[in-house]
Amino acid sequence: MGNKQTVFTHEQLEEYQVGVGVSPELAQLVWDAGSQESPQSLVCDIRLSVWVWSDWRGKRRDNPEASWFLSPQDCTFFTRKEIMRLFYRYQDLAPQLVPLDYTTCPEVKVPYELISSMPELKDNPFRQRIAQVFSQDGDGHMTLENFLDMFSVMSEMAPRDLKAYYAFKIYDFNNDDYICAWDLEQTVTRLTRGELSAEEVTLVCEKVLDEADSDHDGRLSLEDFQNMILRAPDFLSTFHIRI
Amino acid sequence: MLSDDQVNEIIIEVENVPSGVQRHLASSQIFLRKSTANPTFSMVSSSMTDITDCQIFSNGNDGRHNRLLRFSSLNESISQIHHSPECLGMDETCTFHETVQGQKLISSLIPMTSRDRIKAIRNQPRTMQEKRELRKIVDKEKSKQLLEANCCAQCLSSLSLAYRRSKGNLSELLNYISFWQKTFKVIGGKFGTSVLSYFSFLRWLLKFNIFSFVMNFSFIIIPQFTVAEKNTLQFTGLEFFTGAGYFRDTVMYYGFYTNSTIQHGTSGPFYNMQLAYIFTIGACLVVCFFSLLFSMAKYFRNNFINPHIYSRGIAKLVFCWDFTVTHEKAVKLKQKNLSTEIRENLSEIRQENNRLTLNQQLTQFSAHVAAWLVSTGVAAACCLAVYYLAEYNSEFLKTHRNPGAVLLLPFVVSCINLVVPRFYSMFRLVERYEVPRQEVYILLIRNILLKISIVGILCYYWLNIVALSGEECWETLIGQDIYRLLLMDFVFSLADSLLGEFLRRFIGTKFITSLSLQEFDIARNVLELIYAQTLTWLGIFFCPLLPFIQMITLFIMFYVKNISLMMNFQPPSKAWRASQMITFFIFLLFFPSFTGVLCSLAITIWRLKPSADCGPFRGLPSFIESIYSWIDTLSRRSGYLWVVWIYQNLIGSVHFFFILTLIVLIITYLYWQITEGRKIMIRLLHEQIINEGKDKMFLIEKLTKLQDMEKRANPSALILERREVEKQSPLHLEELSAAHDLRLRRSMHEENPEV
Repeated sequence: MGNKQTVFTHEQLEEYQVGVGVSPELAQLVWDAGSQESPQSLVCDIRLSVWVWSDWRGKRRDNPEASWFLSPQDCTFFTRKEIMRLFYRYQDLAPQLVPLDYTTCPEVKVPYELISSMPELKDNPFRQRIAQVFSQDGDGHMTLENFLDMFSVMSEMAPRDLKAYYAFKIYDFNNDDYICAWDLEQTVTRLTRGELSAEEVTLVCEKVLDEADSDHDGRLSLEDFQNMILRAPDFLSTFHIRI
Repeated sequence: MLSDDQVNEIIIEVENVPSGVQRHLASSQIFLRKSTANPTFSMVSSSMTDITDCQIFSNGNDGRHNRLLRFSSLNESISQIHHSPECLGMDETCTFHETVQGQKLISSLIPMTSRDRIKAIRNQPRTMQEKRELRKIVDKEKSKQLLEANCCAQCLSSLSLAYRRSKGNLSELLNYISFWQKTFKVIGGKFGTSVLSYFSFLRWLLKFNIFSFVMNFSFIIIPQFTVAEKNTLQFTGLEFFTGAGYFRDTVMYYGFYTNSTIQHGTSGPFYNMQLAYIFTIGACLVVCFFSLLFSMAKYFRNNFINPHIYSRGIAKLVFCWDFTVTHEKAVKLKQKNLSTEIRENLSEIRQENNRLTLNQQLTQFSAHVAAWLVSTGVAAACCLAVYYLAEYNSEFLKTHRNPGAVLLLPFVVSCINLVVPRFYSMFRLVERYEVPRQEVYILLIRNILLKISIVGILCYYWLNIVALSGEECWETLIGQDIYRLLLMDFVFSLADSLLGEFLRRFIGTKFITSLSLQEFDIARNVLELIYAQTLTWLGIFFCPLLPFIQMITLFIMFYVKNISLMMNFQPPSKAWRASQMITFFIFLLFFPSFTGVLCSLAITIWRLKPSADCGPFRGLPSFIESIYSWIDTLSRRSGYLWVVWIYQNLIGSVHFFFILTLIVLIITYLYWQITEGRKIMIRLLHEQIINEGKDKMFLIEKLTKLQDMEKRANPSALILERREVEKQSPLHLEELSAAHDLRLRRSMHEENPEV
């Protein structure tokens, strides 16, 4: 079964309450029945056995850091296997920086330049905004959790409202929770790469505000944006990055 | 309008509000003060939100253990939450979960089932760490509640846990079966979502065929192998194309199957081939039916919008950038195309008000009518041609013994399918449409009309002429015909991709360079897929191995189309509304295609007489007789009377279906009325939003005017007035803070253009 001391700590387990596993009341019952160990360590044992039995095959099974990923499964839209695959993509970006052992929960951030060099993002006109929105401090440097969050929201399983929320944040360049005319100008410039003249860009921004701004305050709030997205059903399939 | 230090002043004054406000308010204010060097709008507004929220709960509640058991909707929480995510980054212990919004969210999550809870937490726009904290807190609360509950609730919760675990494992297993992920990524990267939709449609159809094949193989083909008779015919290579000859006496066709009850050994289990045949094929079709229905409902729900509120506008172009495109050249091309489209859209908007004169309208109308007449006429002519050819073909075959002669009919049908759609596309030169989307739909309708009428005519020929012609084993003959049609269609598609498209690229790049590379015609290709799938479903009764053949065909087509796409095509220049079109295609697959198949099979099973000496139903007066006789035998056995009862009273009785139809109609009417009511509601709310916006602007203007007047009158009195504000009760503070809110928004709005 493996030495549970090296795989994960009791505190980690207690923190990462896993959907696949044992409920604490069951552990409580077992403990009441006279076991000498504390409920947490019992939970530890039972979870370990569940994990070993689980259908997750592959050569990474022996690696201790895999245990860390029992919990993100319930916070993202990915399965265990996909989370491990994403972890190895993340690790490949900066092999010296990212440790293979995540049981100590290291605070590691991959800098923005490496993130934006990923093939999925490198030619995207909004890659800088995407990295800023999903990074912890808004500067584009992402931890593993930020990375998983980003691809989870951009996956095809995320619901429309969640995507609309993050799309709104991406297009909101000045982070003021409203898409104003300046934000729109920035968006359109990035979309058209200088093909449109300045008057055309202004005209486009005006037209967009005309169409989507329902309370006529000169900028789009989140509700305006969501309302507009409802009229464009392609949004769900286009706001999607495959990894 | 207000300068920066005035903004700072407001913040500081508000901070000195008397006690009764919760601790977190103070801490969030401290946060604001730290960052007033860079006053962003959201932080100020979040303070306002916090204040207004706090006022409600400031009546003697303990900050930390404030437990709000009011149920609040998650949407409300989301919209409030996005105002205060900054709370988390601080050194104060103001975590999200201690804020009012967090408490509301937690209390709303506790009464949910664990499945709903997980889904709700996943859909939260929070970072993963926050979600984990949230889940930890909710689980703790929940477990506390559960320990107090009785053991029944505990049993239920552990059951639901086990169920969720097994569902998770199953979905992981299903993900193994998802193939071609990498290819999809490459295609999407270069060509975008719209072209990708053709390939995902292909993969979806492949899943149907794989399922049908597995069912047929396990339940019909394997048992038949165990009692297979020896095949005495010669094998020549031509069988792959004609399907006749050696293949006639194999598991491929209906005629080979035995009608006996297979039993190995005297006391072994027995296997009734008749029932197995009819039930397996019935089960395949029923599963396909429900799967189509659910897919259609899902896509319809996600992608349907009322046509009159669909934006022809520009907002969709700006905000629906295709994030799946990752190839550098493709991105550049897409940007260029987007600019062109935006320019066109801008010029369209300017020209929107041009109405056509009566003359022009008449010309257009007559052009439409003429086009429809011509297309319908051509389709009818093709159908007649096919019918007479089919009739002539059978006589022709009796006289000429050349085995390759059977290929004439499929060849002609495939030629028609190749040439006539392209002829229809040429109508574009004559007809003009106001909305370009209408053009695509009308072209699709004409094409589908052509293809379905050809299939319909052939069905009529097979079921009325071939089946009643008295030939031995007419089912096998029909099966062979369908096989030949399918194969010839496949050969033509291959030839079109491998030869036609390469030739077109050659011409486009070397000779007539103005043509350049072509664009992938998604509609035409998807229609070909639908046509092939219709034939497969039609033929599954007469040729159980047909799904396997279609499987192989689709596999090969995928790779051929992929290679051809990469080499001969350029990315699409116009935004193609992929999701709506896919909904339409699935509807087409369901409505003329699948329902037509069901109708023909129903006619076969209920009306036609099986052939006398081949197949599992030989000698019976009709195919359905097997079921009747089975029910008869069951009614003689005591243990199975419930099956007989179900058959007689539910399936066989008219009253049951009448009641069922009535219930379905009532439910449909109810839902329709609910939808209508909601539409009215939406319209009213929309008007309300517009009115509120106008009110807001009016109030802001009025306030700024008052502000200006006072400022001009007495600048120092302004500060005095604000100092008095803090001594007022919190309720007044709320109103005033709302007024501050409005003023600040207005000022921010004015300052923004400078940014």
